[in-house]
Amino acid sequence: MDVIGNAVILGFYFIAFSFALSQFDGISGWTLGEVAFIWGITEFSFGVMDMLFSGFDYDAFGPMIRQGRFDQLLLRPVNITLQVLGSRFVLRRLGKMLEGLTIFIFGLSQLDIQWTAVKVLYVPILSISQVLFFGSLFIIGATTTFWTKERLEILNIFTYGGSEIMSYPMHIFPRPIRWIFTFLVPAIFLSYFPAVYILEKSDPLNAPRFVSFIAPLVAGGVMFLALRFWRFGIKNYQSTGS
Amino acid sequence: MKPIIRVNKLTKTFKIYKNHKGFFGAVRNLFDRKFNLIHAVDKISFEIYPGEMVGYIGPNGAGKSTTIKMLTGLLVPTDGEVIVNGYVPWKERKHYVKDIGAVFGQRTTLWWDLPLTDSFDLLRDIYTIPEEIYKHNFYLFKEILALDEFMETPVRSLSLGQRMRADLCAALLHNPSLVFLDEPTIGLDVVAKQRIREFIQYINQERKTTILLTTHDISDVSKLCERVMIIDHGKILFDGKLESLLKEFGGHRLLIVEFAEFYPEPKLADAHIVQRKGDKVIYSFERKVISASKLIHQLSEKYRLIDLEVRDQPIEDTIRQIYEDRLLYNHSYGT
Repeated sequence: MDVIGNAVILGFYFIAFSFALSQFDGISGWTLGEVAFIWGITEFSFGVMDMLFSGFDYDAFGPMIRQGRFDQLLLRPVNITLQVLGSRFVLRRLGKMLEGLTIFIFGLSQLDIQWTAVKVLYVPILSISQVLFFGSLFIIGATTTFWTKERLEILNIFTYGGSEIMSYPMHIFPRPIRWIFTFLVPAIFLSYFPAVYILEKSDPLNAPRFVSFIAPLVAGGVMFLALRFWRFGIKNYQSTGS
Repeated sequence: MKPIIRVNKLTKTFKIYKNHKGFFGAVRNLFDRKFNLIHAVDKISFEIYPGEMVGYIGPNGAGKSTTIKMLTGLLVPTDGEVIVNGYVPWKERKHYVKDIGAVFGQRTTLWWDLPLTDSFDLLRDIYTIPEEIYKHNFYLFKEILALDEFMETPVRSLSLGQRMRADLCAALLHNPSLVFLDEPTIGLDVVAKQRIREFIQYINQERKTTILLTTHDISDVSKLCERVMIIDHGKILFDGKLESLLKEFGGHRLLIVEFAEFYPEPKLADAHIVQRKGDKVIYSFERKVISASKLIHQLSEKYRLIDLEVRDQPIEDTIRQIYEDRLLYNHSYGT
């Protein structure tokens, strides 16, 4: 029930958006089907990530730090990152995945994509890259709790905000926001640029063509940095009194 | 013999941040935070040899738990060296923790929602304990600690005493060569305490497991440990035999006298009255100043007595006095 409820609620969000969009001629040259394509894939990846990485979600990890239960994990002869990953598995996120998948399939039905072998291969690679990318952001968010002990709401701008922004063709956003999500949080390489290639859109940003293909590199790089930060955070773990 | 634990000038300093209040304060916190430095553990050094059982005591906030947390690899020290079992605990954590056990009395290391048997099964897999060792330990510990009655109960429903016994068992299933026990008897009744002490003693004597025990309860130490280390304000003030500590500072003795008739002021030159209840008077005196026999002689010359009893000061009182009066400071003892 939870799963279905979740999917329906999230689905309404897209339906409302699509009604709004149908009153116009798409957004900035992107049709509803095209937006559905990146919206769906982003939503799906975020759902998968949220299920796999929910141990790093603040709701699970914050209390673990504050109550000192992290001690318990450190005492076990098992890789600490794997233990946190395994500490929680939230099946409820299936809803978000289902919803993403539905929107993605709806997008495909609206589009006439010129599929090539590379494109077919790139879609799952892109999704995996997105999962890693969102996961890295979760890890970074969890790591900050070693110092703050509290939730840093500001980080939600990058995680939830990031996934929100990645659901739209990013050239529609004003330059400062685009700048943040290019250089600070390189989300643009994980949705907009790959979509430009797969959907064969013209790119008003005039970026070089290869940036459409660096999604796995960017995701891997961000994950690498996130894990380095995570290791550093563990060294600063202070446990709790007595 | 090579020491199993070698600690050299170990230091842990905590930064305690002072937060600015309010919304703008929260923003300021990101850039400009003031803090106090707390030296929880301050350049301590000691060595522990295989098979020893060492009591690590001190008042609240002395640095006991912080030391244990560094030795078990939970905390990374600010400075200094630790080598345990040939490992630097926080650097080679995964390998290191395979051969140690730890019990933190304040919280469980078991899985809150799982029945005890499942928790033990999980531990067997996590530590990859060979089947025969696991079975042998499991049945033995189950019996000594009397775990049978709550084997199927989820950990969250266990009483404190039951949980502590379960935690002890869990910490020892994989035959660790070294065990850290942080307050293993805290909050327990006399019977539960006794059971746990017997188990600890068994492990130390039969298995030759090295044990470092922190506790509030001095009777734990006096019953179990030959060697004690006293820490206060992050420094080790005493490291040696409990006996020699008591000899040095436990000089106070009590003389309990019941008089045959009421004396308004039964004063003595070398002892003072600590308590008086009708004809019963308790004197305190120092072994170094006057012997019990001399004191009794003085008393019986002046007064008519019915009954006499000489008592040593309880160890708890001696230790408390050492803490409160900070007797070990400016003392040449220890390290």
